[in-house]
Amino acid sequence: MSYSFPSEPWTAAFKDAINQNPEYRKHGAPWTFGSVAMVVEANPSLGLEQTAAIILDVHQGSCQKATFVEGMEAVDVADPAFVIVADYARWKLVVQGALDPIKGMMEGKLKLTKGHLPTMIRFVHSSRALVTSAKDVPTEYLD
Amino acid sequence: MEPAIHLAPGASANGLATMLAGLVRQNIDDNTMKRKAFFGIRGRVAIRAVDIDVALTLVFGDGRLTVHDGVVGVPDVVVLAESEEITYLSLVEIEPRTGLPDPRGENTRHVLKATRSGSIDVRGAASHALLMLRLTQVMSVN
Repeated sequence: MSYSFPSEPWTAAFKDAINQNPEYRKHGAPWTFGSVAMVVEANPSLGLEQTAAIILDVHQGSCQKATFVEGMEAVDVADPAFVIVADYARWKLVVQGALDPIKGMMEGKLKLTKGHLPTMIRFVHSSRALVTSAKDVPTEYLD
Repeated sequence: MEPAIHLAPGASANGLATMLAGLVRQNIDDNTMKRKAFFGIRGRVAIRAVDIDVALTLVFGDGRLTVHDGVVGVPDVVVLAESEEITYLSLVEIEPRTGLPDPRGENTRHVLKATRSGSIDVRGAASHALLMLRLTQVMSVN
């Protein structure tokens, strides 16, 4: 069974993938800096009418809760500590494991719009392991 | 005097330039030693991430940093490395008492090894040792 990205079922499967990722458990163990939002910009041509976000409540190497929300207002209400924004095509590459998230940030393809950058850099291996857990989720794409 | 950090016109589209500007800003806001080092830096450093073909120039002087897209002017120091190695440059452990890179640190050792092997190619460092030291201090998150 595969899950449509982005969606609530995909988000639930992503949470499981994170918690089954030994790399994340190892590198994320010292993480106590709050939740991380992966924000997918709206793309009506793909049927993504509103900006969507996957908010990961991560703490000490595990994902305690993962929430799928629609609209930037919902992201603001959730008030995640870190917000990473990109368009659908870039997130698709990240989910497929074809775009390293840190490299993508250096190229300007992903943007950290909220959060303490030195902390993100200090936990570079943790951030990478977190996001790359997505490649283990059986995924259907909108395009 | 307040430190001033600016992106030159055209640099905001350069992800590495925005990241380094933000990193230096937050580091000097968080840490007095790094703030002091920032005010002592004078010089021009070009950094090129060779695997993603992204380059920038950091121009320091008088408590100011301007980050340019691409290589601008004649740099005192040029750093050529893959993006992964540039990340390690930001992870070098700084010994708080001396302000020097801590050779016991895992990331410091990685950078020293990469510099020796040429994975991190630093040109001009020998004649601009103080510039390199202070750059390391303000770029490092540790």
